[in-house]
Amino acid sequence: MKKFINDPKNFVPEMLKGLALANPDTLKYVPEYNLIHRADAPNADKVTIIQGSGSGHEPAHVMTVGKGMLDAACPGDIFAAPPVDYVYETTKLLASPKGVLLLVNNYTGDRMAFEMAQEMARADGIRVEMLFIDDDVAVEDSLYTIGRRGVAGNFFVMKAVGAAAEAGADLDEIIRIGEKVNSVTRTMGVALTACTPPAKGSPLFDLGPDEIEIGIGIHGEPGRRRGKLVSADEIVDDILGAVITDLPFTSGDRVALMVNGLGGTPISELYLLYGLAHEKLVSASITVGRNYVGEYCTSLDMAGASITLVKLDEEIESLLAAPAEIPIRVF
Amino acid sequence: MKTRSIIDTEFVVRSIAETAIENEDAFCKLDSVVGDGDFGYSLARGFEKVLDEWDVFDRTDSSIFLKSIAHTITSRIGGTSGPLWGTAFLRASTAVRGRDEVGGADVVAMLRAAIEGIKDRGKSDVGDKTLLDALVPATDALEVAVAQGSSFEKALDEAAKAAREAADATSSLQARRGRASYTGERSIGSPDAGAVAVAVILERLTIQSRDR
Repeated sequence: MKKFINDPKNFVPEMLKGLALANPDTLKYVPEYNLIHRADAPNADKVTIIQGSGSGHEPAHVMTVGKGMLDAACPGDIFAAPPVDYVYETTKLLASPKGVLLLVNNYTGDRMAFEMAQEMARADGIRVEMLFIDDDVAVEDSLYTIGRRGVAGNFFVMKAVGAAAEAGADLDEIIRIGEKVNSVTRTMGVALTACTPPAKGSPLFDLGPDEIEIGIGIHGEPGRRRGKLVSADEIVDDILGAVITDLPFTSGDRVALMVNGLGGTPISELYLLYGLAHEKLVSASITVGRNYVGEYCTSLDMAGASITLVKLDEEIESLLAAPAEIPIRVF
Repeated sequence: MKTRSIIDTEFVVRSIAETAIENEDAFCKLDSVVGDGDFGYSLARGFEKVLDEWDVFDRTDSSIFLKSIAHTITSRIGGTSGPLWGTAFLRASTAVRGRDEVGGADVVAMLRAAIEGIKDRGKSDVGDKTLLDALVPATDALEVAVAQGSSFEKALDEAAKAAREAADATSSLQARRGRASYTGERSIGSPDAGAVAVAVILERLTIQSRDR
């Protein structure tokens, strides 16, 4: 393992400290709960939006805290849901009279921690609702899982509810918007290499030099199937095809197209993938209304990418286009 | 002065905590076969906190002691382990609320309560390839041994053997909960990390209780 680390146990706190020091005017850091929050939160005139999740997906979610997006993020350790206390204390610290919305990527641990924290916060009289994000098309059989996973498409839910909250929408309206965006967002990813969690010190799984993992999750958990490394064209056909047929997206649709890097793939390759995906959509008579290329939701140092489509309507498109001020400006 | 029950409860909790810390790497390796490799890390960090706070836990009786432990686990461990193990300790504490002495039958009742808590919290059951697959047969074996009037050391030994056998058998199951579930049929062939942890904990408890 070659990484810039001191003690693996301090990996997340040291990253968060750096983030806070780099954004002294806009962000505040509460080390006790891995909490990064807007310096001007809570705001009594707007609903508070909080995301949790594990670390290792940066910029998601701590670097999407800012005006027009999240009010706070309180991540757990690398790939681990936050402890109940982080979510509960964050909710208490940042509660607004207009209410609190907890955004939760749909995983077993996150669901349990947020449900427990929600129950505790409600017992204190705080109005707090939860919204689950599950955009990953790779998980097919829900009998054997708690359902689809939340992956890179979570960016669009955060962006839309953040914009609505900034404009003063009430909690019910924000939940309606969030559920709507989630329901028209689909993602599929592919890994070229495994990632190396700092505490483990070695790759999370074995992937041969000519192998790829199709339908990869964002924690290195395996995906739909393992395949041979083929051309970029064939890979885009495969994963974009899975995304298109899932909703399904059909000719005449207007979409947002995101090519998201998983942490270890250069921007050049992401733009190469973007070009291929864009042209394939155009030839399927699907219009790309908004475009996103870069790292939005990563898996540490994993080489790989995911493709997300969001079916746009006027409301969603205007929320995605609304201004936001976050540490990474990638929208 | 501490009651005998408090001393026994302290012994069991400390043994669980030490097992989790000593086996961090082994549990992480097991979890990374089909999971995401953080199980050992989460558990070890959480039980380190339990040992850090060891001297300040309320020891009025076993129930109150376990409840304080549950609070630390729930509030400080991330991932799935905090809510699941915390709920297990909390339910176990409820099963012996207000009791001065805790005997073999009470231990069985505590484990049954813990099992129900894990099922509720994780919306899971036996056969889903989770720690329940080892904890339930171990509790069954313990109950039989206690009913037969075996010594506690002997009953613990039976429970450990049942847990080990059941944990090994999880290899043939397809995961239905947690990150491993996304691997579908590929989760077959390696045991569940949580089930193995239950076996390792009971084996260590058995050895240590002989040496007490």
